[in-house]
Amino acid sequence: MIDPPHAAPSVTEELSAVPESGSGSTAVARLPDNRALRAQQWNTLLPKTYVILLALTVIWIVVFPQVAPLYYVSLALVVLLTVVLGVSWNIISGYTGYISFGHAGFFGIGSYIGALLIAHNLTAWWLAAIVAGVGTALLALPMGALTLRLRGPYFAITMFGLSELARIIVSSWDSLTGGGAGLYLPFLEDRTSNFYAMGILAVVAISVAYLIATSGLGLKLMCIREDEVAAQTLGVNTTWYKIGAFALSAFFPGVAGAVYARQIGYIDPITVFGVIWSIRAVATTMFGGQGTIIGPILGGIVLTLASEWAWAENAFAYQIVFGGLIVLVVLFMPGGVMRLLELRGWIPRTRQL
Amino acid sequence: MTLVQVIINGVLLGGVYALFAAGLNMIVGVMRVINLAHGELMMLGAYTTFMLFSLAHVNPLLSIPASAALMLILGMALQRLMVERVVRQPLLSSLLLTFGLSTLFLGVALNVWTGDQRSVSYLSGSLSVGGLQISVVRMVAFAVAVALTGATFLFLRCSTFGKTIRATAQHPDAAQACGIDVTRVRMVTFGIGSALAAAAGSLVSMMFTFNPEIGQAFLPKAFAVIVLGGLGSFVGALLGALVLGVSETVAGYFSSGQRAESVAFVILIVMLMIRPAGLFGTNE
Repeated sequence: MIDPPHAAPSVTEELSAVPESGSGSTAVARLPDNRALRAQQWNTLLPKTYVILLALTVIWIVVFPQVAPLYYVSLALVVLLTVVLGVSWNIISGYTGYISFGHAGFFGIGSYIGALLIAHNLTAWWLAAIVAGVGTALLALPMGALTLRLRGPYFAITMFGLSELARIIVSSWDSLTGGGAGLYLPFLEDRTSNFYAMGILAVVAISVAYLIATSGLGLKLMCIREDEVAAQTLGVNTTWYKIGAFALSAFFPGVAGAVYARQIGYIDPITVFGVIWSIRAVATTMFGGQGTIIGPILGGIVLTLASEWAWAENAFAYQIVFGGLIVLVVLFMPGGVMRLLELRGWIPRTRQL
Repeated sequence: MTLVQVIINGVLLGGVYALFAAGLNMIVGVMRVINLAHGELMMLGAYTTFMLFSLAHVNPLLSIPASAALMLILGMALQRLMVERVVRQPLLSSLLLTFGLSTLFLGVALNVWTGDQRSVSYLSGSLSVGGLQISVVRMVAFAVAVALTGATFLFLRCSTFGKTIRATAQHPDAAQACGIDVTRVRMVTFGIGSALAAAAGSLVSMMFTFNPEIGQAFLPKAFAVIVLGGLGSFVGALLGALVLGVSETVAGYFSSGQRAESVAFVILIVMLMIRPAGLFGTNE
């Protein structure tokens, strides 16, 4: 099996946690009653909580740039960006269990599609960002069709290879991309629109992740993670679900890359295809808890703020922070913060978290 | 520069690739851990030579044992304290662990040595043989690399400890049942693998300018070599390394250095597509 034993609620266990009406179910009898009940209470409470949190987040996104100093707005943009990377990586790697080291490739491809459209004034910038996302997702389809046949580590390494290959293609395609010299975008007086764009993207990404996780689609993806052969036997067309989840997880870094390019005004292959974007996605999700909704959000916020603090201390410290955290999480906290809370009994096992 | 000379350069480069990949090959073979920090171990070896050379003027060739010994100790410590805990877990745990270690080492190295390009200027001349100009340092590096790779091969093939390593690679449980201390074997294997990476790093430091990111640039090459040659096959890996080296220099000759960089990735991806799963010798 390719799946780490720590990864989030197992499907069967969760299903058995739902009390069944009708003749005395053995599934419920196996669990302590209060736990099954508590999970049910949480499950009715959580959707409402999410709606309230969503509304608060939207209000925060609208108000924050009006009141906060410029530095904090751009910091918040990076937080949102990291959340987007983590949440989207989690769709393929957290739920389906296919760990990818290629998120940087999607980020870079999206950056270049968006930057080229904006620099040549071909479309409105927001449309350019959407086109970048769709284009990245479309490119991910054949990539996924090729690589998702590979299991575990082979997939991870091949994705890393494809991401690097994309960087090399972009930097040697001088006539289109300007090669290693990079690409300049028009100077922006007011960058608030970028913050709004990233905010909307984060909200959409989280909502999509929630819808996936709590639907039958999520169950099928988790089935693939738990036991792909069994999922196939049960009639899940694993190939299509994997490729679909993969393309969806590529859409978000694509859009984010375009917005990021517009925000910083200059991109070159080494920056936007840098392994650090993959590291961000992996580290934040692992820290928060892979295969959970909250995990990558939590990780994105905590790790970005921590690395920003580290950055102020020392320019390379953020790599030490991210690397060290991944090591510590694998060794001592497999499953991340969410799993830790779950083991403590502070939160129940539910797909809604 | 003629094509013959380009091919000779490629062969000389391939020797160093073989040495670098040999260490990774051993580690993957014995404990099924794909060590993503292998490039950083090489990078630390390169900086050991650089530091000894620039601070104490130690001959770079003589610093190879020092850098190998340092990484032997570091590798054994890493294995004992961290990797051993994930050996029996799914492959992804060790993959993520070594990915974290790689990021950590890179961050530390950037902190200590900055991202500036460094070089060790040693034997910078070239030898003229029948109209071909061959760099002396590359020839020396090739000779050292092939000697070390060969020595490792003989060690695994003939020595008693080498046999216990191969036994553990074949079947850890059976090896343990035969009285082999597999934990110790894994520790020593990781140490030797790291030492080989460090030796390759020391050689690379004489051949190229480098910065802490050189490890990341070299790791895919080791994967390509292993994938070409096959897991556990030293002769195969040596041939794979030569093929990679020559392909890279020839691609660089006809195209650009940048495109030459992509050769390793293309080999890696194409090979994994054609022969998925079987290449690292395990099928989960």
